[in-house]
Amino acid sequence: MAGKSGRTISATPKGGMKEKILSLEGALIIAFIAINILGRVLSPNYNLTNVMRESPRYLAEIFMLFGMGFILVLGDIDISVGAIVCLSATMGCLSSNAGLPMGLAILVTLLTGLCCGMINGFIATRFTELPTMIVTLGTQIIFRGIAEVSLGSGGSASLKDYEGIGILRVKLGPIPLAFFLIIICAVVFIILLSRTTFGRRLYAIGSSKTAAKYAGVEVEKLRFICFSLIGFLAGVCGLFILASTYGANTTTGQGFEMEVIAMCVFGGIATTGGKGNLVGAFISALIIVCLRIALGQINMNTQLILVIIGIMLIVSVLVPSFRQKYLALKK
Amino acid sequence: MQNKSLLKKITGSREASLVIVLIVMLIVISIFSPSFLSPTNLGQIFRNNTLTMLMALGMLCVMLTAGIDISITSTLAFAGMSIGLLQKYDVIHNTFVLFVIGALIGLCCGLLNGIIIAKGKIAPIICTMGFMYVWRGMAYVISNNNWASGQDVSGFSDFGKDGSPGPYIILVIAYVIFFIVMKWTKFGRSIYAVGSNPEAASISGIKVDRVLVSVYTIMGLLAGLAGVLSVSIYASAQPNMQYGKEMDVIAACVIGGVSMSGGRGSVVGTFLGALIISIIAKALPLVGIDAIAQNLIKGVIIVFVVILNVITQRTMDRQNLLRREM
Amino acid sequence: MAEDLILELRGITKIFPGVKALDNVKFQLRRGEIHALMGENGAGKSTFIKVITGVHQAEEGQMFLNGREVHFKGTQEAQQAGIAAVYQIPTSYMELTVTENIFIGHEIIKNGIIQWREMNRKAEELLARLHANFKVTEEVGALTIAQQQMVEIAKALSTDAKIIILDEPTAALTANESEELYRIVDELHEQGVSVIFISHRMEDMYRLAQRVTVFRDSRYIDTFDVDAITDKDLIKAMVGREITDMYPKPKVQIGQEIFRIENFSRLGYFKNVSLNVRAGEIVGLTGLVGAGRTETFQCVCGIEKPDSGRVYMNGREVTVKKPGDAMEAGIILLPEDRRRQGLIMSWSLCDNVTLPIIDKLSDSKKFINNKKEYELSKKYLEDVDTKAVSIFDKASTLSGGNQQKVVVAKALAQDHMKVVIMDEPTKGVDVGAKSEIYAIMGELAEQGFGIILISSEMPEILGMSDRIYVMCQGRVTGCLDRDEVTQEKILELAMEQSQSGREVS
Repeated sequence: MAGKSGRTISATPKGGMKEKILSLEGALIIAFIAINILGRVLSPNYNLTNVMRESPRYLAEIFMLFGMGFILVLGDIDISVGAIVCLSATMGCLSSNAGLPMGLAILVTLLTGLCCGMINGFIATRFTELPTMIVTLGTQIIFRGIAEVSLGSGGSASLKDYEGIGILRVKLGPIPLAFFLIIICAVVFIILLSRTTFGRRLYAIGSSKTAAKYAGVEVEKLRFICFSLIGFLAGVCGLFILASTYGANTTTGQGFEMEVIAMCVFGGIATTGGKGNLVGAFISALIIVCLRIALGQINMNTQLILVIIGIMLIVSVLVPSFRQKYLALKK
Repeated sequence: MQNKSLLKKITGSREASLVIVLIVMLIVISIFSPSFLSPTNLGQIFRNNTLTMLMALGMLCVMLTAGIDISITSTLAFAGMSIGLLQKYDVIHNTFVLFVIGALIGLCCGLLNGIIIAKGKIAPIICTMGFMYVWRGMAYVISNNNWASGQDVSGFSDFGKDGSPGPYIILVIAYVIFFIVMKWTKFGRSIYAVGSNPEAASISGIKVDRVLVSVYTIMGLLAGLAGVLSVSIYASAQPNMQYGKEMDVIAACVIGGVSMSGGRGSVVGTFLGALIISIIAKALPLVGIDAIAQNLIKGVIIVFVVILNVITQRTMDRQNLLRREM
Repeated sequence: MAEDLILELRGITKIFPGVKALDNVKFQLRRGEIHALMGENGAGKSTFIKVITGVHQAEEGQMFLNGREVHFKGTQEAQQAGIAAVYQIPTSYMELTVTENIFIGHEIIKNGIIQWREMNRKAEELLARLHANFKVTEEVGALTIAQQQMVEIAKALSTDAKIIILDEPTAALTANESEELYRIVDELHEQGVSVIFISHRMEDMYRLAQRVTVFRDSRYIDTFDVDAITDKDLIKAMVGREITDMYPKPKVQIGQEIFRIENFSRLGYFKNVSLNVRAGEIVGLTGLVGAGRTETFQCVCGIEKPDSGRVYMNGREVTVKKPGDAMEAGIILLPEDRRRQGLIMSWSLCDNVTLPIIDKLSDSKKFINNKKEYELSKKYLEDVDTKAVSIFDKASTLSGGNQQKVVVAKALAQDHMKVVIMDEPTKGVDVGAKSEIYAIMGELAEQGFGIILISSEMPEILGMSDRIYVMCQGRVTGCLDRDEVTQEKILELAMEQSQSGREVS
């Protein structure tokens, strides 16, 4: 079929690298550097060795970041991740204490997370009328409830097999295992979301579920996969929490959902779906980790850190919204 | 026509079915524990759940607009902690003034939520999740690792102490006001309209943004009041008070028939929902279930009710299609 | 002034970002008349209505009510002035009762307390006036579409409106229900109410209106007396030219049957639908809105689940469980609502075109091959002659017609396509782009594809199809050949009355 007018359409991508660097990611990298300088100024102990040493406590959450990125890109949300962390850490701890070898206990931890994610995914895809916010709000109470029941009246359990869990605390040179794994995950998931057909389809679903479905994208299958994935990653997080705190209690993982969502939103992923990428989210996760280490070193109230992250979350969702309003006005 | 009205009667009167559930529950519990229905015990149930019942009214309004507010117990803690400290450091001891201050703090928190959600077009869950940590954190920060003990709030706690009618009076007044406002005033109905069809509401001349800001402000106000009441009833103020209880409030509404997608729900239903939640919590140990399982059971109930609603809706839709087919 | 005008608008111009929705439009409504407003989709009728009712404010122009100039800043002001509208978009509150729906925004209030009893009584009066057979305490969500529409009309009447505007009131109604609506409008007319109504159905206009005003491409074209006008004049006014040259239907040698569906049924939507398409053939599928045409093919293509039905390609049965299966089999659907179903509006043209075939562009099937993606989308977008600067333009920046071309390009990119189902392909498309889309359709037929054209627009169906299936209330009521078909025959089949008076939602 020949074009009747012979009109041609340009196929050269707009905007060079320069624009990209000046974009959000660029700003985030600058913020990252600024935070590190700030840390240095605030605390005399803020140096690479110490940061590496202290990081595992804070790193565990970042595993969930990748899953949450996927979920938010889909236009969904999962606020049960904190509870999944709690439940999987509890299960891992209890099963090890019950005499299971550490390898199996680790497997139990991961499977618990995966199962929780699959339950979320099942309800979310079977009952598509329900917003996932409602679904995960409900399952969150159930997951933490199961943990509470399992932990019994004391509300906490401590791991007896200190040595076994040690394999998660090994270091590869100066780099802790958690850090190493996170870098690997970051590379894999960033590529998965930005360079693969799978990622492209997630964006399609987040931008328009209906149009995606008409284009042959298996919407519910992919949503199920992503919910299972974030459950599994919450299990991984639970595992590293277990390894760094040698136990679990009813408050384990509290607030993680907010922090992880805040990291994503701060990194430019819209909660309305279809926008943003994991690069920004990952950098902002690192920023928050550095911030926490620095503030931890100067003994700042941990609650105050939550206040800061909460404000960050609200401000960062407000910015694009007001920017849009401003642009509309300018037109 | 006849068939339809019958179907509607069964599915439509949520309140009637809730009353039946309530009665059945009470009968079963009385068999296990005959003393359960004693006036003292029932009074206890109300006293212990005043906060949930009070905040459920605000949550009703918020959920009617298809929103949600999970920051309420943090607002409660912040307001409660503030007035606790005001007494601890002997700034103010007047009960009435303390109530006003607590309510105002809550109102401001709610107003902030409302403005951000309505004007910034931010998903309510995100916004209130942020504030959930902000206000809770602020409660810790202002407490500076102290808490206001029974001694600090001694005069004030008379209002809410066991046997005092204070909390009941507030609860009754709040429910009467809301019952009237939600059913008989233009403002109340505009909340329903906004939740049911925001686009149409704005064409009908209703200021949608203003309604949204109002409902979150009301929610905040009630949460602030609940904070003051909490200090009075439990005779102490701690930054972690009522942690996680926002789920009870949401559960009360969901059980009471408030739709999560907006537009449907009533004050009576909310009250019954809150009552059912309270009785379940109180009765679990009596029927041999560990109190530790409370949260688990609440979660299961919420998920169950929400899914049940979807299934009922689907069945109704299918019924409609069948009728159409004839 | 000789005429007794209740409403007059002069020189109305309304600009939305990037589009002139109304361009120097005028309109006159006589007291007590029923005035039809016609024009193609996108001609600006709905916007015009919203200017009258104060939803939008015009940039330029004047409006006179009873000879006095008025400016409405909001719907409330228009309401107080006696203008009420029943909009095309559902403005019902499904969860609320009939009474409440009628009185929302202007409740009867004494001392700040809503007078439910009085409102119920008044609502009953209004419903009695419309001969409605449902209770005022019913939830609107439980009513049929036609009943909901009555509630909307009652709502308009409740404000004591002197002018009532109906925007496409019959679009979702069955023949019986339309009759009911005609009766109501006639009664309103007798009661001295002036009515403006928008409709696509010629029938509505002939049946009701005294005069008709035509808009085209955001401009006022003309006003006619209904008694003194023919279909041909009207269509000419609406589309801007004689329709004969609109349809470049090529003579194509029609081949073997390539696609057949048998006994497709879905409870409440359609029943036992069977039809077939041969290579190079354009098969029209028409019927009133709600006849089940779109729903049938949503099921055929795996978007929704049918209760029963088989699909055959070249005589062999294929199982379609999900949209991907249909595409794999070569059945491509161009959906009705391109802004919601056909395209992702926030995406670039390129991404839109390649979405269905994204995994076929690289050998690994997993990674995205940008170079190939760009080449391919450029080729197909140029093939259909899309007016765009770059393949990276966002879909939302294009006009309706060009968006439709992108949808076509997206279908063409699926190189194993055998059958194309075009659901209302020219809806909301301007006249120029329309004939281009017809040209593409013709070319596709020449290349041997089977084409199913689902459309409510009679001229298009008559002009393009080799064969025409007509559906009515979920059933295929007939199949007509090109040489035997007439508009009357189609209408007869499309309006075949059933005993039950089926409700449609």
